[in-house]
Amino acid sequence: MNPRIPSTLNPGDLLQRVNRDVERSVLRARNGIRYVRGTHRPTLGATPKDVVWKSGKAELWRYKHGDRRYGPPVVIVHSLVSRSYILDLRPGNSTVEYLTAAGLDVFMLDWGVPDELDADNDLERYVDVYLPRALAAARRASGHDEVTLAGYCLGGVLAALYAAGHQDAGVRNLILMATPVDFNEMGAMVALLREGRLNPDEMIDQTGNVPADALYSGFYMLAPTTEVAQKATLLENLWNDEFVEGFQAMATWSRDHVPFPGAAFRQLVELLVRQNVLMTGSMPLGGRAVDLAAVKANVLNAMADRDNVVPPPAVEPVMQLVGDPTRREELRLPGGHVTFGTGRSAFKHTMPKLTGWIIDHSDTPS
Amino acid sequence: MPADQPLWLRAVLRLERTIGEPIESAVRSDTYFDLVSTTTRVRRKVIGTAEGVSRRCLHLLNLPAGSDIQSMRQQLTRMERRLNQLSDEVSEMDETEPPTRVR
Repeated sequence: MNPRIPSTLNPGDLLQRVNRDVERSVLRARNGIRYVRGTHRPTLGATPKDVVWKSGKAELWRYKHGDRRYGPPVVIVHSLVSRSYILDLRPGNSTVEYLTAAGLDVFMLDWGVPDELDADNDLERYVDVYLPRALAAARRASGHDEVTLAGYCLGGVLAALYAAGHQDAGVRNLILMATPVDFNEMGAMVALLREGRLNPDEMIDQTGNVPADALYSGFYMLAPTTEVAQKATLLENLWNDEFVEGFQAMATWSRDHVPFPGAAFRQLVELLVRQNVLMTGSMPLGGRAVDLAAVKANVLNAMADRDNVVPPPAVEPVMQLVGDPTRREELRLPGGHVTFGTGRSAFKHTMPKLTGWIIDHSDTPS
Repeated sequence: MPADQPLWLRAVLRLERTIGEPIESAVRSDTYFDLVSTTTRVRRKVIGTAEGVSRRCLHLLNLPAGSDIQSMRQQLTRMERRLNQLSDEVSEMDETEPPTRVR
């Protein structure tokens, strides 16, 4: 028996149901036309912000939403493969908004959209040039000597290398969100490169970067048919403005990849993917060996249970490798790779837990 | 699967999983990886050959080809990158904070 149809239905209920279905059909038609026309797209990355530092395409933003009651400031380091607005997707469903509303002083290090000029950007440029300068700017702007550094995905690798490789890093807390360290566990995403079937140079185009389309294809092929299920769910919920807006925001982000700088890509493939050097606890960078255990900060290793981009086994070894063993904590969250930025699970679990941990490790308001 | 979903949606979701699971297994197989690498190489080779032919034709007519423009863009990029480096060095000298030390 269809569970949606109760066994007894009085005429009042029936009329109410017919009314509801008619209203929803009208709304479905209206939202369907808007969706197809591409109008009424949600505003993405809407939390007000100031640019406090800029170099090349990299920018450091300071968010203006809410009172800043806690210190040190939280500096989020985004990944090199996707757009940072996933962490500030839309009003009411934004990690950045949640953190700022809790009284934290939030900065975002956004890498912009690389072009030919950035093809020579190697990992050293990100870890030893951009990060120190951006963090110095965050310290100047906030008036704090330390920061809480939070890296998302590959941004977590950059954040960990910075915290480990700089004596005067001034990182009180290091939060690694879906940060891969064991690239042997990264599965299909890197299998082609790891096994030598493709060389990095075969993926780099005339601009010297890996084109965004190639990265999108890599993500798309992880689950090529899920788009059908997503579109069917959209059709059922097309009457719901909130659902449609969320769907459009996510769909925009998931297709909005950025080119990956060629020099950093070559290093990533050779060192991280093929040699899996992070699992040795040390990585050669800028003529020195960066020892991950040298991180002095409190470390929070956050991972999502159903992450198929960076699966938990690729993240778990952080607990053996990064920082002081007595100052490491693990946070397992329900959801997938984007649970750090959006979704019901993010709002219910990720945002409160991350915010709580940061506040517990921050200075209380004076 | 939530019980309040209509039958048609449940059927679509079930069908998607029925078809999707074998496809997901297939795109993680060695055969698929070999296919992708072969396709990538063949595509590059075909594009390279086509570019070579069109370049020779255009040069016969004393016209610049796309690759000439590309190489000019690369030279300009190198120059712009050098300018940026110099500008970075100047601003670094201007900064009051001491440079970060590396371990």
